[in-house]
Amino acid sequence: MNLQPKSAGFRSRRLGALPMTSMIDVVFLLLIFFLVTSSFAPEEGRLDAALQTEGPALTSVDLQPQVVLVEMGASGPVYRLGGRLAVSPEELTSILKQLPKEAGVAVRVRPDVPVAAAAAALQAAHDAGFTKRSYVPTQE
Amino acid sequence: MKFAPAQSERLRGFDLTPMIDVVLQLIIFFMFTSQFGELSRTQVELPREKGQEERLEKATLTVDLTATGELIFESEPISLESFARIAKIEIERYGDANLVTVRVRPDRRCLAAHLNRVMERLSRAGVSKWAIGTMDPLSAPPEDGP
Repeated sequence: MNLQPKSAGFRSRRLGALPMTSMIDVVFLLLIFFLVTSSFAPEEGRLDAALQTEGPALTSVDLQPQVVLVEMGASGPVYRLGGRLAVSPEELTSILKQLPKEAGVAVRVRPDVPVAAAAAALQAAHDAGFTKRSYVPTQE
Repeated sequence: MKFAPAQSERLRGFDLTPMIDVVLQLIIFFMFTSQFGELSRTQVELPREKGQEERLEKATLTVDLTATGELIFESEPISLESFARIAKIEIERYGDANLVTVRVRPDRRCLAAHLNRVMERLSRAGVSKWAIGTMDPLSAPPEDGP
């Protein structure tokens, strides 16, 4: 009685007929499992700016209105732009929209202000259409 | 005269093994890369701003700034002097300060005094372009407490 197939042709035919469906099922289940259980890192954005040191150029008459000074007010950060004062980033954006864009805008942030307000000022400059944005680090 | 095998015979002999190999390799690849991506990011609460359209720079040095003003570079704390040295070397390597961007990922609660200190030192090291890391308020996790 011949129970063991010996010929190579028979063996290959047997392997060829092997049901792959269950294997693929398992693979896809694994794939779905990992997709569902893994936690994806949230996407981050960025705001580009140039770095500018404090100097005579920033205090000149021409550039003074384009400097945004962020400082702490009575109820949080405020944005000072020449003689005007904005209490929210939205207000700052609407003020910046009225200004000429060629000269760009410089952002100066007082040391006691949280970084979130610095980012809000840069975002407002970006939303207002300024492509030339610079940041002036200050310790005053 | 020998004809090509019937279609049913050809389909039965179709080898799925390479496809399954590729699928498994892809799973392993994504598992590893997502893990490493997570490891290289320090947990900082970024300012909640939508940012701008991503611009690809030739070279970007990313540094994290924690709420207490500590600098973290490639998951390791680093002194400001050491980081400024790295930035200077990078600028010298590219030969143009405009080709190197320093991306700072600050904690939004961090005081600007720390950011200003970092930017002042980097400016002296020759850095002229920088970017602040932000997180879109729509994809950011809910704020803790009032």
